[in-house]
Amino acid sequence: MSAVDAVARTGTAAPPAADDPYAAAPPASAWRFLMALNPLAKLAAPLPAIIVLVFVRDLMTPAVFLVLAYTLILVGARLTARAVVLLLVAVPAFLLVLSLGFGVWTDASRISHDVVLLELGNWTLYGAAIETGLATALRLGAILALSLIAGLTITGPDLARSLVQQLRVPYRIGYTAIAAFRFVPRFGHELEVIRAAHRVRGAMDGRGPIVAARRRLGYVVPLLAGAIRHAERVALAMDARAFGAYPDRTERHLVPFRTRDVVFIVLFWVVSAAILWLLYPWGR
Amino acid sequence: MDAATTPEDRETLTLARVGVTHEGADRATPSDVSFTVRPGEVVLLLGPSGSGKSTLALAMNGLIPHAVPAELTGSIRVGGMNTADETVARLSTRVAMVFQDPDAQLVTGTLLDEVAFAPENLRMPVPEVLARSEAALRRVGLWERRAENPDRLSGGGRQRLAIACALAMGSPLLVLDEPTANLDPAGIEEVYAALAELVADGDRAIVLVEHNLDAAIGFVDRVVVIDDAGGVVADGPVGPVLRERADELHALGVWLPTATLAALRLRDAGYTLDPLPLTPAELRESLENTKTPAHPAPPPARTSQHPGTGASSDSIIRVRDLTVRRGRTPILHGIDLDVEAGEFLAVVGANGAGKTTLVQAIAGVVPPPRGTVRVGAVDPGRADVATIASQIGFVFQNPEHQFIAHTVFDELAHGLRRRGLDDAAIAAQVSDVLRRFGLEGREQTHPFLLSGGQKRRLSVGTALVAGAPVLALDEPTFGQDRARADELLHLLDGLHRDGTTVIVVSHDMQLVAEHATHVAVLRDGRMLAHGPTAEIFADAQLIAAAGLRRPPLASVFQNLPAHPALEGIVRLADLPAADTQPADTQPADARPARAEVAR
Repeated sequence: MSAVDAVARTGTAAPPAADDPYAAAPPASAWRFLMALNPLAKLAAPLPAIIVLVFVRDLMTPAVFLVLAYTLILVGARLTARAVVLLLVAVPAFLLVLSLGFGVWTDASRISHDVVLLELGNWTLYGAAIETGLATALRLGAILALSLIAGLTITGPDLARSLVQQLRVPYRIGYTAIAAFRFVPRFGHELEVIRAAHRVRGAMDGRGPIVAARRRLGYVVPLLAGAIRHAERVALAMDARAFGAYPDRTERHLVPFRTRDVVFIVLFWVVSAAILWLLYPWGR
Repeated sequence: MDAATTPEDRETLTLARVGVTHEGADRATPSDVSFTVRPGEVVLLLGPSGSGKSTLALAMNGLIPHAVPAELTGSIRVGGMNTADETVARLSTRVAMVFQDPDAQLVTGTLLDEVAFAPENLRMPVPEVLARSEAALRRVGLWERRAENPDRLSGGGRQRLAIACALAMGSPLLVLDEPTANLDPAGIEEVYAALAELVADGDRAIVLVEHNLDAAIGFVDRVVVIDDAGGVVADGPVGPVLRERADELHALGVWLPTATLAALRLRDAGYTLDPLPLTPAELRESLENTKTPAHPAPPPARTSQHPGTGASSDSIIRVRDLTVRRGRTPILHGIDLDVEAGEFLAVVGANGAGKTTLVQAIAGVVPPPRGTVRVGAVDPGRADVATIASQIGFVFQNPEHQFIAHTVFDELAHGLRRRGLDDAAIAAQVSDVLRRFGLEGREQTHPFLLSGGQKRRLSVGTALVAGAPVLALDEPTFGQDRARADELLHLLDGLHRDGTTVIVVSHDMQLVAEHATHVAVLRDGRMLAHGPTAEIFADAQLIAAAGLRRPPLASVFQNLPAHPALEGIVRLADLPAADTQPADTQPADARPARAEVAR
C-alpha cells in the first residue's frame, strides 16, 4: 500500500515548506535509521531511562545518557538547520547557564568546602556547589536529549496515526487531532491581528508584568470566539464528508510497527539497564 | 408532488413542505419549501437575505437536524433516503457539500489526502480511493499539485479543492453554499470555470446558493425563489423567471444580475429592452438594437460623486515614498498617494498586492517609517495611539478582534477616557454615537453578544467616536452576505455624505464602482494608478494588468455610439432613471436593515 502511495506521490513539483508538519518526508538514507522507526517505539525506548534519571544524583550517569542520546540523534536523524543549532548551540548554552545558576543557588552549608573557586567578600563559591549544579543541569539535559530522540524525528500527524493504528485510539479522536494541527498557524496569524487591533485601540497601555498579563488575557476572548466558530465549521465539513461513517476507515498512510521497532526498544532498554547497573548507586 | 409515488431513480432530491426553526428562533426560516431536483439538473436557489437559503442547504445533507440544533418539519428525500432517518455520514454518499469558507473545509496535509479523506471514511479499498481522488483532482485541474499543502493554494484553488473533495464522494448531487463569497475576482472566475466544466459533463445535479448572479447565470437550468416568509414564490427555467418577473423579484429583495438591474433602470427611463437582458453581453446587444428614447430622463449629474478635485494642498492624507518590509521581504515599494478630504477611496489589487499593508501603515496599525505618512497634521510613524485615533479610525476585517471592553458603553467610552474627557462629556458623546449607529438600548451588552451587523456598526462607531475625520476599513464586506454588506455600505455612504473621508480595501469591483469616488490600484507593492473611479475602470488594460476584473457594466457602456448619453457609465446610480424612481437601485436599499436574522 505504501508502494502505491509512493507512486502517487512522485512527480511533485514544489518542494514542501520547511515548517509544514504534513510534508511527505523525502526517502532517508539507511544511516538515518531513526526516521524509519515507528513513533511509539521512539517514545517507548527512552522512557525507563528518563524515569530513572529523575532520581540520579551523580555526574557520570546523566553524562553517559546525554552522549548516548546525542549520538543516536546526530547519526540516526535527518536534522533541519534549526535542529542542529538547537542541539549544538542552544542546549549546551542552556546547560551551562543552568549549572552556574544552580551552583550559585546551592545551599553552601550542606556541601563540601574542600575546593574554593571564588571569594567575594564573605561569600564563597565552592567547587562542590558547581559540581551539584552541573549534576542537576546534566540530569535535565539528559532527560531533554532523550526526549528529543522522538521530538526531532516524529511529526504530529504520524504520531496521531500510530496512536490510531497501534494503540487502537478511536479514529474520530486521532483524525480530529490531525485536523487540529491545521489550527495552529491559523491561530498564530489571528493572534497577531488581535494584538495589532488592541494596540491600535490603545488597550491597556503601560509596562510591567501585571499589565502585560492582563493585556494577554484580553486576547483570549476574541481568539476563543474565533476558534470555536472555526472548529464548528470544520466539524460540519468533516461530517459532510462521511467522517465517522464506520468504526474504522481505509488507511493509506500505514505507520507500521515492525521487527526493527521491537529490536530498537529492546536494545535501548538493555543498554539503559547496563549503564545504570554499571554506574549504580548514581551518586546517592 | 407526492414523494412516495415518485420512482427513486427519477429524483435526486425532493423537498416536501420543508420548514426549519433554529434553536432560539421564534419562527421557521424557511417555513414551507417544496421542490424537486432531477438528475443532472442545475438549480439556483434565490431569495432575500434571511429567507433561509443556507439553512436549506444544510438541511439537504442532514446536517440539520443531526449536527446543527434546529427543528425540521416536512421531509427531505435524497436518492431514496429520508434525511431525518439517516446519519449525515450515510447521506453524504447521496449529497456532497461545498461550504463558503475554504479554510474551514481542510482536514489533512496534502491535496491528495484531502480528496481521499471522504473515500477513506467510506472504507473503500486503496486502489479505488486513489482512482477516485485522481479523477476528482483532474476535473478541477489540481492533479499536478497533489503533493502540496492546501495552504499553498490561492483562495480560488482551495475552493476548487473543496469541489474535488465533494466530487470524490461520487454522490449524484452537489450542494454549494455561497462558494465564492470569500474569494477575490480571480478566484471567483477560477471556481466558476471549474463549475462550468462540471455542468458541461452533466453527470451531477447541482444546487447552488449564490448571490453573485453575474458569474452563475451562465450555466444554471432552473431558478427556485423563496421569499421572506420562507415559501417558494417562483420555480422555473432561468430565462422566463428572471426576465418576466424581474420587477417582482427585485421588490422582494432578491439580488438580480447587475445587467438586469441596469436594464430595469433603463427601461423605467424609457428605453425599450425586450426581452430583459441577464448578462452584460445581452444588455449591450439590446442597447445596440434600440434607440435612445425621444425624451429620456437625464442621467444624474455624475460629477456630484467627485468632490475635492481642487489643488493637492488640501489633501488630508499624504504618503511619500513609503516602503514597508515584513522581516526582510518588502511589501510596499516607494508608494506616493494623496487623498483629499471628502474622498471615498477604494484600494484595490490582487491578493498579496499590499492593499491591507498600505492602509494599516496610513492608520498607524503598523507604524510607517517616520516622515513618510501624514494624516491631517499627524505622522502615524511618530504619534501615540490617542493622537492617531483623533485623526484616523481603523476598522479591522473581523470586528471582534478590536473589542477590548466588557460593555458597548465602555467600548465607546474607552477612546474618550484616554483623552481625559469628564464623565458628562463622555456620556453625551457615547449616546450620540449609540443613536447614530442604531445601538441604543444595548449600552450594557457585552460586545460579543451583539448580532453580526451590530458588531460591525459598533466597530465603526469606536473608530469614529474620538472625532476622526478619516475612516479606514480593511475588507469590510469580506465573507458577508449581500444584505449585511449593503447595510454597511449605506452606513459608509452616510458618513461620507456627512464629510468623513473613507478608505476601504476591497476586491468587489461592482461595489467599488458603486460607492467609491476614487480608486487606488496596487500591484506587487507598487502604486499602479490612482484617480477618479470612472477613469480607472474605463482603462481595461490597467485593470487587467493589476490582475483584477472590470465591474460588469464597464464593458457595456464603453464605445456605445447608439447612446452617447450612456457612454462610460460603470455605476448603476449614474444610469438615467424615471423621475419617480428613488435613486437607489439595489434591492436591499428598499428594505429595513434585517441582517440580524441571517443566521
